[in-house]
Amino acid sequence: MPHLTRRALPAAAFLAAMLAGAAGAQTTTVRVLHVEQNPTIVAYWNDIARAYESANPGTKVELQYLENEAYKKKLTTLLQSSDKPDIIYSWGGGVLREQVKAGVIEDLTPAMDADWRGRFIPAAVQAYTIDGKVYGVPMHTSQVGFFYNRELFAKAGVDADGIKTWDDLLTAVKKLQAAGITPITAGGADKWPLHFYWTHLAVRLGGKPAFDAAIAGKGKGFADETFVQAGAVFQQLVDLKPFQAGFLGTTYPQSSGQFGDGKAAMVLQGNFVLNSMRVNAADKKGLPDDKLGWFAFPTVPGGKGDPSDTLGGLNGWLVTKGAPKAAAGYLRFFSEAANQRIAAERGFYIPVVNGTQDAIANPFLRQIAQNVARSKYHQIFYDQALGPAVGATVNDVSTDIAAGRMKPAEAAEAVQQAWVLAN
Amino acid sequence: MAFQAPPWLRFVTGRVGPKAGVALLFLPPALFLFTLFVALPMGEAAWYSFYNWNGFGSPTQFVGWRNFDLLFANRAFRIALTNNGLIIAVSLLVQLPLALGLAMLLADRVRGATTFRLIFFMPYILAEVAAGLIWRFVYDGDYGLIAQIWGLFGVEAPHLLADPDLAIHAILGVIVWKYFGFHMMLYIAGLQQIDRNLYEAAHMDGATGWQIFSRVTVPLLGPTIRLSVFFAILGSIQLFDLIMPLTKGGPSDSTQTMVTYLYSYGVTRMRIGFGSAVGVVLFVICVAFAFDYKRVAMRHD
Amino acid sequence: MTDDAPSPYETPVTIAPVLRYGVLFLVAGVVLVPLVATALGGFKSLGELRVNPFGLPAAWEWENYWGILASSRYWQLMGNSLIIAGLTVILTVAAAAMAAFVFVHVRFFGATFLLNYLLLGLMFPAATAILPLFIRVRDLGLLDSYWGVVLPQVAFGLAMSVLLFRNYFRQLPAELFEAATIDGCGYVRFFWYVTLPLSRPILATTAVIVFVHSWNAYLVPLIMLNRDGLYPWPLGIMVYQGEYSTDWNLVLAFITLTVLPAIVMFFAAQKHIVAGLTAGATKG
Repeated sequence: MPHLTRRALPAAAFLAAMLAGAAGAQTTTVRVLHVEQNPTIVAYWNDIARAYESANPGTKVELQYLENEAYKKKLTTLLQSSDKPDIIYSWGGGVLREQVKAGVIEDLTPAMDADWRGRFIPAAVQAYTIDGKVYGVPMHTSQVGFFYNRELFAKAGVDADGIKTWDDLLTAVKKLQAAGITPITAGGADKWPLHFYWTHLAVRLGGKPAFDAAIAGKGKGFADETFVQAGAVFQQLVDLKPFQAGFLGTTYPQSSGQFGDGKAAMVLQGNFVLNSMRVNAADKKGLPDDKLGWFAFPTVPGGKGDPSDTLGGLNGWLVTKGAPKAAAGYLRFFSEAANQRIAAERGFYIPVVNGTQDAIANPFLRQIAQNVARSKYHQIFYDQALGPAVGATVNDVSTDIAAGRMKPAEAAEAVQQAWVLAN
Repeated sequence: MAFQAPPWLRFVTGRVGPKAGVALLFLPPALFLFTLFVALPMGEAAWYSFYNWNGFGSPTQFVGWRNFDLLFANRAFRIALTNNGLIIAVSLLVQLPLALGLAMLLADRVRGATTFRLIFFMPYILAEVAAGLIWRFVYDGDYGLIAQIWGLFGVEAPHLLADPDLAIHAILGVIVWKYFGFHMMLYIAGLQQIDRNLYEAAHMDGATGWQIFSRVTVPLLGPTIRLSVFFAILGSIQLFDLIMPLTKGGPSDSTQTMVTYLYSYGVTRMRIGFGSAVGVVLFVICVAFAFDYKRVAMRHD
Repeated sequence: MTDDAPSPYETPVTIAPVLRYGVLFLVAGVVLVPLVATALGGFKSLGELRVNPFGLPAAWEWENYWGILASSRYWQLMGNSLIIAGLTVILTVAAAAMAAFVFVHVRFFGATFLLNYLLLGLMFPAATAILPLFIRVRDLGLLDSYWGVVLPQVAFGLAMSVLLFRNYFRQLPAELFEAATIDGCGYVRFFWYVTLPLSRPILATTAVIVFVHSWNAYLVPLIMLNRDGLYPWPLGIMVYQGEYSTDWNLVLAFITLTVLPAIVMFFAAQKHIVAGLTAGATKG
């Protein structure tokens, strides 16, 4: 693959001119590595890639898929290879910070400053800014909440609108169990689906101040009362045995499929679970929108977090060091409002590009987009926000609590220990 | 037909004499590869294990014995050690007697012996990854054999691989399934070396079947048994490929072995120093075992 | 136990045929049922697999298999495995045979030390040094290349192969060597024209061991390869399982097709394979 000279990205016009110049000489291939399992979304991305190619002769954009878990495990070794892909999928956060520290991610600040930055919601660019420099191109946002099956809720006589507090949730679980329905499905084998419980409880219990204090190493850090309490409250749910049989051996795709098949009444997931459900349900469709419901993660009495706080993702793309200029050029094109509106219209995800929000047709995505926009504290997934080693520990301990193998205080202590070691 | 040494070769051999010449020509490839990819990395593992390092740049943050302290204080690593011990125990106490018993049944030209031997050996030639996936299917609570059997009684099947208390036992079953055929073949080869007249003599002396087995067969099989034990233990210590498709060390670390632990806590988190410390512990265990075993158990072989 | 058995002295155990065959068929069943169920499962629809995981399919869904056979993915995985295993066998056999020849025929200061140094490799698995090995391969620029997998595999396979060759070469009649040296035949020619042709059995044995190990290897390729275009089949099958984790029937068909070459080879060359794999252990 011929690499063009490595230099800070020039302004848009110059970039276009350079690309045009390079085009005549040879074919440049941009390799994009992503984790999207849903073929409709991949087809949509491919359409954008083809459009980019025809506007930029001599450039080829190649999309490569790697399964989510395999991707996260591979990323650590992948980035050390000289043969790494040009564009990689990212969750931002501490993982991004370490990648930047390692010097494997291209700095996009000059191009962003030129006229690119203005396209995005400010918070989205902020999530990819480290020490004042922009290292990524944000794509979509998401929120974690409970999706539920309306039919099963009706059967058990549970009113979803009434689930406001943690105790309401526990009551709902008991009612569903009494009706012979599996209350919740979770992909425990992949661990991160379970860490949503522990971390969202921490968000509800301590809000932004608790997280900031832990990061700053104030008090006992992640071994502080908030995080011990998060484990203890999660334990209350675990004690009810709310999850499907064998949930510790179920992967995220399998669990999405189970929810789509109507095997469990609820799933705590980001809105991306809708895509996963459609691919993995036995009928390849899953629950239709009118049988689906959504409610926000319940509050905990006495919690210091604001009920409008959200836990979710802010995902995007990174350009790796040594990638051809066309990589950034493609992402510029990709993030044009006209292209991202399509994702909004078809309900693939919630784009973070201005002028797309009004196009969101899917009712759930529309609601979630509003939630995130209104939220003053959008906590990025802990397993990404805290970096690879600490994030993995959060996933471990959440799973251990769910498995009944760890006490809340031990869990918080383990996370704090990992944090101290990594920083 | 005559071999014409190329000029460069004649140069080498001519200068230093044929003996040194062939040594200089034939030894370096093996020594070079071995040094570069086995010996040096092992030495580097010992070096890295004293550092906190994510692989980028060069290791600078010296942490002394901290990686080792953390390792032995770690719950998952202790589980891994226990599991390795359990795997060794089951290999020795279940797998080897089973293999020996079947070898006794198949050592002679009984009808169908060759076919049975091949069938029993088949799991051994399957890749661990494939065998693991096959058993993941068998154990699957929704689709597998277990689900089927439990379904007959109208009960929901246990999800063996998802239960922290049961998963390791399910894996032990797969280990026996996968490797007993190999040990059986070793024993068959050993049994065929035994002089049949000895059996006859023992029989004439009025020895019972069990007496012949315990006083004649087993002692004469000694070298083979010691070898089989050696391979069973060394293989058990290194177990990795089979666990990954089954459980990846989960649920809740209940099926970690030392090598899966090294992979999930060292490689995928890019903690080179910590992972190297695991490697060093593994190395010490392997080498100490190999030396001691050779010295104590195999000194007569 | 019975004394009526036709020839009790021939067998190390005396046991009633019914019992003997009862045990043998039981064990054979345990060995075969998972394998047969895997092959048959690939012919079923997902719905049928759930209710009937072990019987014959009600309707044979050939498209599960055809779909995989028609995909370039399957052939690419097989091709990669073949290339990696082939290169590993050639290099291991060449380097090990040459080294063993020196250890047998040339006495020189430090020979024993060098031999013991190489044999150290028998005692620990590649896993112990996998992280430094990764760093080394990365620094050599060999990540994401066949060589990044082949060279470490060769290095770790050397010890066993050197030992096998050395033990075999030593058993070759010494007169041959003496006659040849009197003839003025050089070491290299002797190696090429006398030792190697006489060593076909051990060459085959070693090649089988090294090939099977490389063909089935998972850890080293997992660490060294990131491009799916280079994946050998054990990596590919794990990725496939991750992608189609909810479609067991497809995964089973894929497993069957990837395992098939090994099974076919096993039955075609069973004598060599069994002898090779067990000899590797006994003579090692």
